[in-house]
Amino acid sequence: MDSLHGLMELVRDDLGVPLDIPGDADADLADLPGWDSLNLLRLVILLEENGHPVPVHRLLLARSLHEMYTLVKERR
Amino acid sequence: MTKGLDRLRDLRAQGLLEKAYDEVPRLLAGETGEPEVGGLELRTAGRLLAGVDPAAVLAHRPATPVITVAVTGSCTVGPVRDPLTAELARHGMLARTVTGDHGAWLRDLTDPAGALRAADPEFTLCLLDAGAVFAEVPVPWRPEDVEEAAGRLVDRLAAIAADWPGTLVLNTLPLERRYTHQLVDHASRARLGALWRDANARLLRLVESSPRVVVIDLDPLLGGAVPVADPRLAQYAAVNLGAELLAGYAREVAHLVRSLRGRTRKCLVLDLDNTLWDGILAEDGPEGVAASGSLRGEAFHTFQRVVKQLAAQGVLLAVNSKNDAAAVREVLTGHPDLLLREDDFAAVRANWAPKDANLREIADELGLAPDACVFADDTPAERAQVRHGAPDVALVALGADPALHTTALLADGWFDTPALTDEDRARAGRYRGERRRRELRAGTGSYEEFLTGLDTRVDLGPPRAHEFPRLAQLTQRTNQFNLTGLRLREDELRAYAADPAHRLLLAARTADRFGDHGLTGALLGRYHESAGVLELENMWLSCRVLARAIEQACLAALLAAARDDGLNAVEARWLPTPRNHRARGFYPSCGFEDVTPPNRDPAAGERRYRHDLTRLPAMPDHVRVDPPVLERTGHRDG
Repeated sequence: MDSLHGLMELVRDDLGVPLDIPGDADADLADLPGWDSLNLLRLVILLEENGHPVPVHRLLLARSLHEMYTLVKERR
Repeated sequence: MTKGLDRLRDLRAQGLLEKAYDEVPRLLAGETGEPEVGGLELRTAGRLLAGVDPAAVLAHRPATPVITVAVTGSCTVGPVRDPLTAELARHGMLARTVTGDHGAWLRDLTDPAGALRAADPEFTLCLLDAGAVFAEVPVPWRPEDVEEAAGRLVDRLAAIAADWPGTLVLNTLPLERRYTHQLVDHASRARLGALWRDANARLLRLVESSPRVVVIDLDPLLGGAVPVADPRLAQYAAVNLGAELLAGYAREVAHLVRSLRGRTRKCLVLDLDNTLWDGILAEDGPEGVAASGSLRGEAFHTFQRVVKQLAAQGVLLAVNSKNDAAAVREVLTGHPDLLLREDDFAAVRANWAPKDANLREIADELGLAPDACVFADDTPAERAQVRHGAPDVALVALGADPALHTTALLADGWFDTPALTDEDRARAGRYRGERRRRELRAGTGSYEEFLTGLDTRVDLGPPRAHEFPRLAQLTQRTNQFNLTGLRLREDELRAYAADPAHRLLLAARTADRFGDHGLTGALLGRYHESAGVLELENMWLSCRVLARAIEQACLAALLAAARDDGLNAVEARWLPTPRNHRARGFYPSCGFEDVTPPNRDPAAGERRYRHDLTRLPAMPDHVRVDPPVLERTGHRDG
């Protein structure tokens, strides 16, 4: 997961959210079909288990996948 | 990434997951029984499977068991859904989950009009964490405050448990360091620790008074150094029980569901070389194998103790080993190291045949389906062969280090059962008698002669006070001769037995010259007094005593009793289940007339039967059974 594209693939393949990559990068999460709030928790766990420490409280407030990727990148 | 998970993703991408749902257990289990998809990946699998449409699966595979599970709790409970979906899928079951409102467990469980109760769940999980107690104490708090709050919590749960309609699954509350070490003196900490455990002990004891409650002890799961929760997710999202812990919890729940659905595995089939003893018999000779005396040998001894412990609770043991039969017999009878002896095994296959063929034979010999067997072997290729040739057998992947054998064997609760009965404890002995019966069968001419030689006796009557746990177990475990698939809990059976004027409940205990079979059959009925009809709702007979004409004898005795009691007819029905097709012709074979209305939904496959009691079926002459006394009251009025 070294790019926005990689993050979006993770969301599509492991969370099962059908995404348009990269078209949905800036879409509001709530507008993504099949998105539910638990996905934020799943993503925090997935990223950290894959060795990407994340600022949890900020990630939980993120509104788009692009924003999330920026937060993860900042931590690195 | 693993093959299994990749295949799941492919199936999902192609929209084939529902159609191929029967493939899922194998995809998750892997080729050799080592967790192909474990931990994190199993959760991902659950996430993918959670999107499966149950109706579409059922359209392709009508027999798929769908389990409605309601989830509520004192913390964020949504994260349990993925692992639970995956764990149930491992067993071929399909989860239909209903999640309560965040933190609203008390309302969820007490509001009769709430969404949770409305879903009529078969299983309700109430996930509890320390927050349920600490949210109710003031700041600053003392151990006494915690005691009071914990006491209130358990009181509430006890009240709910007393009349919850389905199975209610609770758990012990983990006490984390972030709470204990808010107290700085050791005396207070010790007091907190003691009163906390008292509360957990009260929770665990709820199962004694509430038969539908199961309490999962989280301590053994946390003992494997699994964190209770991630403090950040606990703080920001109330995820007070973490992903790893929930994964372990979900595994326990799936085995509980399986056991209550009558799918407890019954037989542990073991390899010998480097499984039960150190060494290879064919190469090292009898003196060269060891199960004590050395560091490694002692590890095998420890493993044998665990196997013996399981056997004492009704798990049948069998051997499936590539060895010469005579050499194996010599070791099993004479080797000084062995704790497990020839008599401990209900079946022994020591030969050079493929192990999958041996397994099918063992299952057949013991009257079990392959999906009642678990096979433990340290050689991946042998396990792979069994996976291929007998895919319904569960595999235990033992490794090279025998010190890890026990952990591997117990990682899955294959033999978990709702309650242990006297029948379980006596099972091994009964199967030994069975071996002698087979010898009689082999030594006599016709099957009739064999049956006559058995001298079977049946005692048919109302259940005795101590028999209810076994009776419930019989209904839950019996698949082949379970004429409608009905399964009953102990409390339901007690309620039927307490109402003999309207309900008929009979237990059948059987014995023959080789020993006592115990309680092996049951009949449940309902009187329709105005029509003078006894409706036989179901019959169960343990597969162990099938094909001895015991079922015919019981039904003949019941029909005779019904006629003597002045009834006009006995009605019955057969409802197909995945396993009872062989019992389809049972009622007609006993003289019942098929009265299935022609417009019945043919998909359900139900058949209805009626016997007018004019010509009773003959009692099989090699079975002795006395007609039971019916205790209905209707016809005696006036």
